[in-house]
Amino acid sequence: MKKNKNGIIHKVILQTIGHEKRQHYMIPVFTILLSLIFGAIVIALLGSNPFKAYYNLLQGSGLAPKASYAGHKGIITDFTSFLNALTPMLFAALAVLIALKAGLFNIGVSGQMLAAGFTATVLIGYSTLPAIVAKPLVVLIGFVIGALAGAVVGFLKHRFNINEVVSTIMFNYIFQYVVSFLINTFYVDPVSRQSKNVGASGRLTLVDVVIGDYKMDIPLGILLAAVGIAVTAFIMNKTILGFEIKAVGSSMRAAEYAGIQVGRTRVLAMMLSGGFAGLAGVTYYMGYFASIQPKVLVSTGYDAIAVALLGNSSPIGIIFSSFLITVISKGSTYMNSASGVQAEIASAITGIILLFSACGAYVKYKVNRWKEDN
Amino acid sequence: MNTIIIDGLSFALPLFIMAIGGIYCERSGITNLAIEGLQGFGAFCGALFAVCIAQYFAGNSPIPFYLAMLFAFLGGMLFSLLHAMLCIKFKANQVISGVVINILAMALTEFMTKQINASIFGAASNKFVLGVSARITVPVLSQIPVLGAVFTNLYPFEIVIAVIAVIAWYVLYKTRFGLHLRACGDNPHAVDAAGIEVSRVRLIAVMASGALSGLGGICFAYSISANFSSNIYSGYGYLAIAALIFGNWKIMPTLGACLLFGFARSGGYELVKILEMPSSYQDLVMVLPYVLTLLMLIFFSKKNHSPKALGEIYDKGAR
Amino acid sequence: MSDYIIEMNHITKRFPGIVANDDVSIQVKKGEIYALLGENGAGKSTLMSMLFGMYEPDEGEIIIRGDKVKIQSPNHATKLNIGMVHQHFKLVSNYTIAENIIMGMEPVKKTLGLFKSVDLKKANEDILALSRKFGLEVDPTKVIEQVNVSMQQRVEILKMLYREAEILIFDEPTAVLTPQEIEFLLEIIRSLRDDGKTIILITHKLEEIKKIADRCAILCRGRLIDVLDVASTDTKTMANLMVGREVSFTVDKPAPKYGKEVLRVEHLTVRNEDKYEVVKDVSFSVREGEIFVVAGVSGNGQIELADAIAGLIKPSGGTVTLNGADITSYSIRKRNLAGISYIPEDRHNVGLVMDFTLADNLALKNYFEEPFSRKGVIHNEEFTSYGDKLIDKFDIRSSQGNDTIVRSMSGGNQQKAIIAREIELGSSLTIFVQPTRGLDIGAIENIHKQIIGERSKGKAILLISLELDEVMNLADTIGVIYNGEIQKIADARELTPTQVGEFMMGVGGRHEKE
Repeated sequence: MKKNKNGIIHKVILQTIGHEKRQHYMIPVFTILLSLIFGAIVIALLGSNPFKAYYNLLQGSGLAPKASYAGHKGIITDFTSFLNALTPMLFAALAVLIALKAGLFNIGVSGQMLAAGFTATVLIGYSTLPAIVAKPLVVLIGFVIGALAGAVVGFLKHRFNINEVVSTIMFNYIFQYVVSFLINTFYVDPVSRQSKNVGASGRLTLVDVVIGDYKMDIPLGILLAAVGIAVTAFIMNKTILGFEIKAVGSSMRAAEYAGIQVGRTRVLAMMLSGGFAGLAGVTYYMGYFASIQPKVLVSTGYDAIAVALLGNSSPIGIIFSSFLITVISKGSTYMNSASGVQAEIASAITGIILLFSACGAYVKYKVNRWKEDN
Repeated sequence: MNTIIIDGLSFALPLFIMAIGGIYCERSGITNLAIEGLQGFGAFCGALFAVCIAQYFAGNSPIPFYLAMLFAFLGGMLFSLLHAMLCIKFKANQVISGVVINILAMALTEFMTKQINASIFGAASNKFVLGVSARITVPVLSQIPVLGAVFTNLYPFEIVIAVIAVIAWYVLYKTRFGLHLRACGDNPHAVDAAGIEVSRVRLIAVMASGALSGLGGICFAYSISANFSSNIYSGYGYLAIAALIFGNWKIMPTLGACLLFGFARSGGYELVKILEMPSSYQDLVMVLPYVLTLLMLIFFSKKNHSPKALGEIYDKGAR
Repeated sequence: MSDYIIEMNHITKRFPGIVANDDVSIQVKKGEIYALLGENGAGKSTLMSMLFGMYEPDEGEIIIRGDKVKIQSPNHATKLNIGMVHQHFKLVSNYTIAENIIMGMEPVKKTLGLFKSVDLKKANEDILALSRKFGLEVDPTKVIEQVNVSMQQRVEILKMLYREAEILIFDEPTAVLTPQEIEFLLEIIRSLRDDGKTIILITHKLEEIKKIADRCAILCRGRLIDVLDVASTDTKTMANLMVGREVSFTVDKPAPKYGKEVLRVEHLTVRNEDKYEVVKDVSFSVREGEIFVVAGVSGNGQIELADAIAGLIKPSGGTVTLNGADITSYSIRKRNLAGISYIPEDRHNVGLVMDFTLADNLALKNYFEEPFSRKGVIHNEEFTSYGDKLIDKFDIRSSQGNDTIVRSMSGGNQQKAIIAREIELGSSLTIFVQPTRGLDIGAIENIHKQIIGERSKGKAILLISLELDEVMNLADTIGVIYNGEIQKIADARELTPTQVGEFMMGVGGRHEKE
């Protein structure tokens, strides 16, 4: 990469990302630009116009106007639908972030989402409770089930020294198959082959709300996600718990030496992480969607690892990175219909962004070396 | 009983060869969570090659299958270079690198399968159809009571895997290279001081891991799923990781773990059949290996010792 | 053709932000013991790393046996018959001694004339022969994890000899050894020299140089200060040149004034992960105003003893009493609050959270108390003012004050930060574990003063040290530990350094009995 040591490009790179204070956001921006250029080349090679394709992504996400809209649709309906998809991603990224701060990799976000989403679906989604009771209960159950699932992982790590990466992967499959079995045995909709749709009263997204001339989906969860981000930022920067989580994450032995109960802190961090994953689950399965497809683990949990990474493991950074990744995935369907580019390229571009962002530390190291050489 | 052994082996052996790859990688000090992606990408390359050349061979010719294995081997190796580059050259976090590679492999192969089907074969399909590999039965040996099942209805790939596994064992434990590789995972500085290039050893280890994962992937594509599609990403790679951790990063115990997974699975299926339960109960059977792994880890993880330098970024300059 | 086997001329090596070697020139004759003397960070190891091919010099030339060479790798150095024993041994812990020695140059056999494999049998025989030839007996089949440090060092030396090295570089070889082991090592080095090998010895210990070196180059802050003929120079002159100023060897210590008992340890037994007893039935007590030194060779259970008192590991038996209260079952936090300060051995992994700021690290033991936090919420301004206070009081130097990430600070200042934090807690007992390890003379002086200062304030001090000098200079009472057992407890004035050394080897007290 970037061999031209004395060229103009070298200078530009130094100018833009050489500044230490700006590095924490300039490097992700740099890697994203690089990936988008890479994606553009691929799209061009496939014979489509990359600028148009990228513009389609924005259009599909309700961030730019489309040429025409169906009845009761408009840019605002696309945008609320985009927010609807963004909500679970924000929660999932928070889940990854909190675990990461405690030095743990929560690869099990998808499984925790499924466990929480399924439990809430069965307990509340199929009940006849009024909305005012059902919605808070869904949120509560989502958080609690997720937190429990996370706590188990933390406990296994603490008590039996089981690597959390391994245990979360195992739980992903266990949840996936068990839920699949339960759906197919008890809750299957014979037509869609998915779980039966949940009732409107428990759903966290208000569907087909008529406002003016538009019929739109309003995701209530997005407000909750905003609160979640604020709470996470507060916990991490301003509380004893946050201090302890960060200490454990940076150096387990030093934290223990300082008198911090490492096991307890880890379990707590995993509970919070799982709790947010649970919220991601209910906003996904009972908000964005209303049913669960058996035997499928959504990719949100894995993408969230990337989102957290790209967002530089900061709650604020996550807002931007979730936005970007969701634009790409949400807008891809429209891109497919408008430009004829396979929708799957969206996840490929996401993958490339991830790949480059994993090199972020190296880029930083290299750039700082150049700076010293000059 | 025979079915349990036959099906168990055909599941356990591809898993085993992937796990051996993982052992190579991790014993050299590089964490490998990328097996899932590597096996998928390898299988994709093999399957792509097989469907491209299928027209030149008779329908029952085994040659496309062997060529597919070769290309899966090479494809996995190629893709593993990404992991090697990230972990060795760019000194990225190895766990993150693994996760990224899995996501990327899944996205890329899914996209390319669709794109290639659309633009080359003119079909809107998200899979390459392969069919199931023919089976063979070894004469004489298959007549042995009980154990004969091991030699009955074998997929040819099982023999290939067995041969490669023996070679892999020999290389890892008996040769100079194996000695260097295992040392890299314990104290890379010692290896460096002995005049051996650590990054070279690790590069080869990662590539071996990619190649063997690819091989395992194509075997699954030719047996369980009979095609290549995104279904290949159903956790074989992660199961292989579980097996090798379980096997304490040693080849023979890992074989034991793989067999356990294989027989637990085939035994479970058999049980569902015998008890005439609805097919959805198979999902419960699928849970078995994972639950078993967790339970066993609870008992064994205190005794397990991962390679000392596993996951540590090796920086020559740092002393 | 000169009569020097090694010439390093005008060597300059820069690292980001520091000039490690600045125009250094040394010439070494064949068959001599040449010492490199200097404090930590003086550039000795860097200079030798270049000779061993680990770095390339930015400027200057290296001439070996009259030929100008560019040594690109340790491999290349090995080919030039240069060998090095690093300060941190480079051994594979789960391999046997033989496997470690042969690595990179393994004898190979062919099975069935076809399959090449490592010939371990031949390796074992070769190494046994080699070790006998040089008087460095080892059992080639033992696994590294299971042999002690001194044996591991032998393995490192054999590694060089196996590669037929003629130029042997030793980097601080005595740092981890007992006095008796040091004697033995120096003897070996001498006999290697007599065999015609050329030896370069990196050290900061003057007595060793005086004992065996022929010539001695003194480095200070990357520059070559002088090259001396050892026989005609006294240690005081060497020390002054090394530090660049007058140094005092002794510590001013007023007569002790003991108060009431602070720490009492009774029948303490600790097992390690493998259930092996590493501390065996240890009992002693420390009073106010007393410095109790646990002397012993590395790996004899003293770290575990300190950890058990501080609560980092659970003892399997015995009791720990602090100011009359039984604290055996207390958590780490509770012990800290009850009055234990602890300066651990491993300052990087244990004593500090390296990626935290200095301010956060200084408050690491009291962040949870008022005024640092109230009701679970942290008040950052309190961290800052507390940090400012300690930075000023203990002269902790860093690039960005409170906001400095501790990882970027120098070792001496990191240790200062830990000591500042622990002393400021005002605990009745302070445990120091090898507080001066790896620090230069200036920093050592400073820390010794702090320890004496605490003693004057009437605090109880438990000091764990491997350095005999430190033990003799600071101790009021000495307890010698060997193999997990206390061999001897006595007033420091009643013991000579030789006696302490003998107890450290587990052979003390024999003369008395006879």
